[in-house]
Amino acid sequence: MAESNSLTDAEIMLKVAGYDSKALEQLYDRYAPILYTLIKKIVTDKDTAEEILSEVFVVVWRQIDQFDFKSNNVYTWLITLTRNKAIDVLNRNGGKILPEYNDDYERENIIPKLSPEIEAMELADVLNKREKLEKALGSLTDAQKYVLELSYYGGMDQGEIAAKLNIPTVTVKSKLQVAFGNLMQKVSEAK
Amino acid sequence: MDKKKSLDLIKLEVLGCLNEKDKESLQAMKAEGEEFPWKVLGDYQNLIANLPLALELKYPASDIKDKAATKLYNIRDQIKAKVEARKALEMPAQPIEEISESEGIIEISENFEENTTIEQIEVEEKVFAEVEEGIHFNAEESIPGRDEPVKFVSKIKEKSEPENLFRRASEFEAKEPLKAVVDKDVIEKVARDYIKTHLENQIESLSKTVKKNRILSFILFVISLLLILALYFIK
Repeated sequence: MAESNSLTDAEIMLKVAGYDSKALEQLYDRYAPILYTLIKKIVTDKDTAEEILSEVFVVVWRQIDQFDFKSNNVYTWLITLTRNKAIDVLNRNGGKILPEYNDDYERENIIPKLSPEIEAMELADVLNKREKLEKALGSLTDAQKYVLELSYYGGMDQGEIAAKLNIPTVTVKSKLQVAFGNLMQKVSEAK
Repeated sequence: MDKKKSLDLIKLEVLGCLNEKDKESLQAMKAEGEEFPWKVLGDYQNLIANLPLALELKYPASDIKDKAATKLYNIRDQIKAKVEARKALEMPAQPIEEISESEGIIEISENFEENTTIEQIEVEEKVFAEVEEGIHFNAEESIPGRDEPVKFVSKIKEKSEPENLFRRASEFEAKEPLKAVVDKDVIEKVARDYIKTHLENQIESLSKTVKKNRILSFILFVISLLLILALYFIK
């Protein structure tokens, strides 16, 4: 496993793109805990979470050609893909009527569409920022944290949040934007 | 383009909570092109992806890796098709007949003629027997039936089970699974070659021995006859 530790996420992804299963295994070993933590937060049920985690790696294997090797942002790509997948399962299990899950749907709704100008991020770099992020999140008001949670982990759109909190959609929109802005500012200050 | 509006919509998009109307507006802004704040979108996407870091880390059960490997195994045909399509794109145009002659079949038989050892012959013989029984995998690979999940591998080496499963799954997907299937024509050719190179010598030497024995028997017969005649005349 020494070899796996010496490779960057981007190098591993490159190997995965050549259908190197050992590389996919390395990617799994590296990312499974953080992805599982995210999934578990979204769906809560252990079995469903584990099922989604294994599905995520199948999607990575099948859709590796959708990964942008120019921007090489493995961390954000995997986190966003996992979040999309977990939210999709949450919605389907919750009885939301969604289009049939097929390749096209997956490419359109599950595979992340990252900005072509996004900066590359790797898990190792991100883990060093953990403390700063916790500090930034701690500076948000409870209401701001709550709307962020409902949208990011709850997969709710503005209308659904408004209905849940019994407030106008416009208010939800502005609360989300303010929360987001504050978070961005605090993280930038902590740099 | 209204920059403030686009920034507000970007925030909602990365949180995944845009409604249909806003989605369309944002799509239109992106399509407009040059002025769209792509860099800001990237920064926001990175920021939001950091949110799970604040959660208490949880670890999945160890057998989830096996589950993933089994799923990978089940989509091997899909991946194989992708790999072949990619190869076809990378390879210069080559007539189909040439490809089939230059790969696989010929390669196997040539290797057999040049480097055959007793062990190899035994392996090949085992393969013949298996093919007769309808098993379509090469003996060296110890592979379970096609539609069976990858569990079989774990029986071989339980300690490194997850690793093996991942590897095994892709051996089917990426490494031309058709190579594992033994072609009947190849087997016949190999069998003929085997008979030619090994059995014919033995048959030849046997027939020589038989010939020698015949001559020896004839000489002994003549000597015996002469001795009988000599005894008759001495009496």
